[in-house]
Amino acid sequence: MASVWAKSFAHLPVLSVFFFLLLCLPPGGGQKKKENLLSEKVDQMMEWSSRRSVVRMNGDKFRRFVKAPPRNYSVIVMFTALQPQRQCSVCRQANEEYQVLANSWRYSSAFSNKLFFTVVDYDEGADVFQQLNMNSAPTFMHFPAKGKPKRADTFDLQRIGFASEQLAKWIADRTDVQIRVFRPPNYSGTIALALLVSLVGGLLYLRRNNLEFIYNKTGWAMAALCVVFAMTSGQMWNHIRGPPYAHKNPQNGQVSYIHGSSQAQFVAESHIILLLNAAITMGMVLLNEAATSKGDVGKRRIICLVGLGLVVFFFSFLLSIFRSKYHGYPYSFLIK
Amino acid sequence: MAEHHAASDGKHKASANAGGSVHGNSRPGAAGGGGGGGGGKGGLSGGLTQPAGWQSLLSFSILFLACLAGFSSRLFAVIRFESIIHEFDPWFNYRSTHHLTTNGFFEFLNWFDERAWYPLGRIVGGTVYPGLMVTAGLIHYVLNLLHITVHIRDVCVFLAPVFSGLTAISTFLLTRELWNQGAGLLAACFIAIVPGYISRSVAGSFDNEGIAIFALQFTYYLWVKSVKTGSVFWTIGCCLSYFYMVSAWGGYVFIINLIPLHVFVLLLMQRYSRRVYIAYSTFYIVGLILSMQIPFVGFQPIRTSEHMAAAGVFALLQAYAFLQYLKDRLTRQEFQTLFFLGVSLAAGVVFLTVIYLTYTGIYAKIHIPIIASVSEHQPTTWVSFFFDLHILVCTFPAGLWFCIKNINDERVFVALYAISAVYFAGVMVRLMLTLTPVVCMLSAVAFSSVFEHYMGDDTKREKPPAEDSSDEDDKRNSGNLYDKAGKVRKHVSEQEKAEEGLGPNVKSIVTMLMLMLLMMFAVHCTWVTSNAYSSPSVVLASYNHDGTRNILDDFREAYYWLRQNTDEHARVMSWWDYGYQIAGMANRTTLVDNNTWNNSHIALVGKAMSSNESAAYQIMRSLDVDYVLIIFGGVIGYSGDDINKFLWMVRIAEGEHPKDIRESDYFTPQGEFRVDKAGSPTLLNCLMYKMSYYRFGEMQLDFRTPPGFDRTRNAEIGNKDIKFKHLEEAFTSEHWLVRIYKVKNLDNREPLDHKLRSVVPKQKYTSKKVAGHILFCCFNQK
Repeated sequence: MASVWAKSFAHLPVLSVFFFLLLCLPPGGGQKKKENLLSEKVDQMMEWSSRRSVVRMNGDKFRRFVKAPPRNYSVIVMFTALQPQRQCSVCRQANEEYQVLANSWRYSSAFSNKLFFTVVDYDEGADVFQQLNMNSAPTFMHFPAKGKPKRADTFDLQRIGFASEQLAKWIADRTDVQIRVFRPPNYSGTIALALLVSLVGGLLYLRRNNLEFIYNKTGWAMAALCVVFAMTSGQMWNHIRGPPYAHKNPQNGQVSYIHGSSQAQFVAESHIILLLNAAITMGMVLLNEAATSKGDVGKRRIICLVGLGLVVFFFSFLLSIFRSKYHGYPYSFLIK
Repeated sequence: MAEHHAASDGKHKASANAGGSVHGNSRPGAAGGGGGGGGGKGGLSGGLTQPAGWQSLLSFSILFLACLAGFSSRLFAVIRFESIIHEFDPWFNYRSTHHLTTNGFFEFLNWFDERAWYPLGRIVGGTVYPGLMVTAGLIHYVLNLLHITVHIRDVCVFLAPVFSGLTAISTFLLTRELWNQGAGLLAACFIAIVPGYISRSVAGSFDNEGIAIFALQFTYYLWVKSVKTGSVFWTIGCCLSYFYMVSAWGGYVFIINLIPLHVFVLLLMQRYSRRVYIAYSTFYIVGLILSMQIPFVGFQPIRTSEHMAAAGVFALLQAYAFLQYLKDRLTRQEFQTLFFLGVSLAAGVVFLTVIYLTYTGIYAKIHIPIIASVSEHQPTTWVSFFFDLHILVCTFPAGLWFCIKNINDERVFVALYAISAVYFAGVMVRLMLTLTPVVCMLSAVAFSSVFEHYMGDDTKREKPPAEDSSDEDDKRNSGNLYDKAGKVRKHVSEQEKAEEGLGPNVKSIVTMLMLMLLMMFAVHCTWVTSNAYSSPSVVLASYNHDGTRNILDDFREAYYWLRQNTDEHARVMSWWDYGYQIAGMANRTTLVDNNTWNNSHIALVGKAMSSNESAAYQIMRSLDVDYVLIIFGGVIGYSGDDINKFLWMVRIAEGEHPKDIRESDYFTPQGEFRVDKAGSPTLLNCLMYKMSYYRFGEMQLDFRTPPGFDRTRNAEIGNKDIKFKHLEEAFTSEHWLVRIYKVKNLDNREPLDHKLRSVVPKQKYTSKKVAGHILFCCFNQK
C-alpha cells in the first residue's frame, strides 16, 4: 500500500513528511496521527482543487481521499466514461454541466475546504466501479463528511436530469452548501446571428449591381413553405422536448420510427411527416401547373396524373400513420 | 423595379377578379357538396342573361348552409346532455354575465368579488376582458325587449355557435378580397366545420375565444379592405372591430403585431403607397385610443414591449412618407437613398429586438411550473395538427405557394399571417386557434384553383371568345411565372385545343378524387367534434357493454349539496381547477381559482394538500377553511382526478416552500409515483392521499379485485387504515367522484381543575353519506 502511495505522490515534498510520520509514530499516537493525516488530506485536496476545479481521481486516490475515514469534508464524485471510444454523449453533456457547477463553486466567495468536486473515469478507475457495484455512467454521488453515503446521496439522474441548477439544489440539500450557479454567458448564438447578418449584408453589397434575385418569388415561396412544413411536422416540439431519433427495441433489435402514442413523436417520425406534407403540397401545385402551363398535351397529362397520385397516395399514407397512432380512429383511405 | 412589380401586380389582380366572375358559378357547386352541384350548372345555362343575380343567390345560399352546418355540428353536447355551461373558465364567464344582467353594466365594471381568493378577493371589473359578457348581456337585453324571454344561461350556451356563423361570413369576405369568390365560399365551408375552431366554440363553451375569432377575422377583412381602398371609412371600421377584439380576448396582441409587420414588409418591398399610409396612420392612432378604453388593458399599449413594434412602424412610416415628400422637392437622389437605407435598417433592428424580446418572454413563461402544468401550453405534435385540421394542413402550403407566386399587397398580408400563426401554433397547442382561420383560407385557395381548372371546361366553350381569350391570357401569364421553360406563346385556337387536350376523363377523375378528399374531411370533422370536443366535462357519461349510457352527474350533485347544506359564507378549499365551478354552481367562497394570478396563494393550498394532517390543519386554520373539496376518480376510473394532478401541487408548493415540501419525498426509491404499499410513506400520509382514500379500503368494487382497488391507477391502495383527527367526511357523491370534508373546530381546552381525570379526545367519525354505496358495488363501468 505504502509503495503505491509513494509512487503516486513521490513528487510532492509534503508527502515525504507524512510518510515519515506514518512510519515512525508508534501505534499509541493514533489521535495525533489522525489529525495530521486529515490536515494532510485537506491540504492536498485544496491544492488540487485550486489548480483544477474538478479533481481527477484514479482508484487509489479515490480510496484514500474519498473512502478512507478521517475526513471533515464532503466530496461530490461524478462517475463517468469520457473516453471517446466509450461513445457516451450523455457523459459529455453531464460533464459540461458539472464543470459549470464546479467552477461556480471554485470562484465563488464562499469557497472553502468543506466541499470538493471530483471525477472518476471508468478507464482510470474501473476497480472503483466494481467496488461500488456501479454499472451505469454518469452517476453523481455525494460522500458526506461523516458516515457512509445513504440512498439520497446518489443523485437521481433519471428523474431530475443533470442541469447544474438541479445539481446545486441537490448539493444544498445534502451538505448545506449553497452554490449559486454562474453560467458563462453563451455568446455563440449572438455570434452566429451576427455572422449570418454580416454574410448576408456582404453578399448583398457584393452583388449590389444585380439585386434581381431578391425579387425572386420562388425563393421566397420556398422559404415560407420550409417554415410551414417545419412547424406543422412538429419540429418545435422536438426542439423543446428533445425526443430520441427513433426507438430500438432492446429485445429483438427492431427499430420503430413511429411513436405508438398520439402524445409523443420521434424525430425520424417528424421528418417522415414533413416529407409527406411536402409531397401532398407538391401534388397540388403540379395539378395546378398541369392545367395552366402551356406545352405538350401528353406531358401535361402526365404531370396532372403524377400530381393527383402524389396527393391521393401520400394523403392516404399520412392517414394510415395517423390511424396507427390515434387508437380508435375509424377512417382510412386506400391504405389500411 | 418597383414600377415593374406594381404593373404585374395589377395584372394579377385583374386576372383573379376575372377568374372569380367567370368561374364563380361552377365552384360553388364543389363547395356545397353534392346538393349544390346540379343546381350550379342548371343555374348557369338558364341564367346567363343575369349571371350576377344567380351568382349572388348561390353564394348567399351556400353561406347560409355553411352557417347552418357550423351551428348544428356544435350542438352535440346540447343534444346528448342538456343546455349546460361546460368546463371551468366558462363558469366564471357565466357568473360574471349573470352579475352583469342582474346588476347593470356600471356595477359590473366596479365589481369586487369577495367570494374568490379568500381572504384577498378579486377586482373582477378591472381584470377581465368584458367583451364576452357585454355581448351576451346585450343579446339577452334585446331579446327581452322583444318579449322573447330566454334565460341568460341559454344565451350564453348558444353564443359561440352563433358567432361561428359570423366567423364563416367574415372568412368568406376576407378570402374574397384575397383571392376570389369561389375560394371565399370554400373557406367559409371549411371554417364552419374545422375541428381546430370547433374545439373552442361548441355550444356551452362560453369563452372569449368563441367570439374573438370572429372579431379577428373581421378586423383583418376590414384591414385588407382599407389597404386596398385607402379610405378612412374602412379604416375606422377596422378600428371599431379591433376595439371589439381588444374587449374580447388577450389575443388582440396578435393583430397589433401582425398589421405593423404587414406595413413594414410592404415598405421593405417598396410597395409603399398613399393607401397604406392613410390606412396605417388612422388605424394606429384610433386603434390605440380605443384599445386604451378597456380597463384591463389600460396603459399597456404605450408601455409594454408587445405593443412597441406598432409604435416603431408608425414612426417609420411617418419618416418614410416625409422622405417621399422630400424626394419630390429635392434632387440629390443618392443622399436620400442612403438616408432611407439607414432609417430602414435602424427600424428593422428595433423591430427585430422587440420580436426577440417578446419571443423570449413567451418562452420564459412556459417554464414556470404553474404555466407548465396547464396542458394547453404544451408545444404541438404533428398529430394535433392533423387531428385539428386534417387535409387542410397538407394543402394549405400549396395555397401559400400560389399566393406568394401571385403576390400583391393583401397577399403579403395573408402570407405573413400564415407564417406567424404557424410558428405560434407550433410553440403552443392553444394557439392552434389563431392558425385555423388562415389555414382554411389558404386551403380554400388551393382547392379552388384546382377546381377552377378541372371543373369549368364545359362552360368555357360556351363563353364569348373575347372574354375567354383575355381570361386565358391572364392565366397564361400567371402560369408563366412558374413555368421553367420559357416557351413561345401560342395562338388562342391552339390554346383552346391544348385546354381541351387534358381530356374530360382526366378532369373528372381529378375532380372526383378531390371531392372525395373533401368528403373525408367533412366526415373527419364530424367524428372529431362528436368524440373529442363535445364533452361538457361537468357531466360525464359512460357506456355499458350493450351501448346504454350512464350519466355521471357527481359534480353537480356535490356542488348542489354545498349550496344547500353549508353556511352561505362557508369557505371551500380545493385545487384551483375547481374554483370557478364552486363559485358558479355552489355559490361559495373559494381560496384559489382558475384565474391563477397569485402563485403563492396557490402554493399554500398545494402545501396544505401535500402535508400531513396536523401540518395541514394549521394552514387550513390560518386560511379559515370550512370545507375541503377533492375529486377522486379511483372508483370509476376517471383519470383527471386530484391524485393524478397531485405532483403538480407538490411542485408548485415546493417552488414557494422548498424547506417543507420536497418532490423527491413523494417518490419511491426507484423514482416512481405509486399509491400502493410500495409508495413512499410521505405520500401515504399526506392529506390529499388520506382524503382521497378514506374508507376506500373497505370497499370492494369487483369480485376479481381486492378491496381498496384503485381503478384509475390499477393498484390496491397502500394505506387502508385512514383515520382523521381534524377533519370529518361531510359528503361523498354517488360515484365517489367528489368528496367533501369538513374541517373541525379546535377541541375545547381541557379544564384545568380536574387534574386526575384523563380526558380522551372524542373521536367519532360519522359519515353522512350512505346513499349509493350499496348500489355502487354493482355498478359496472364499461
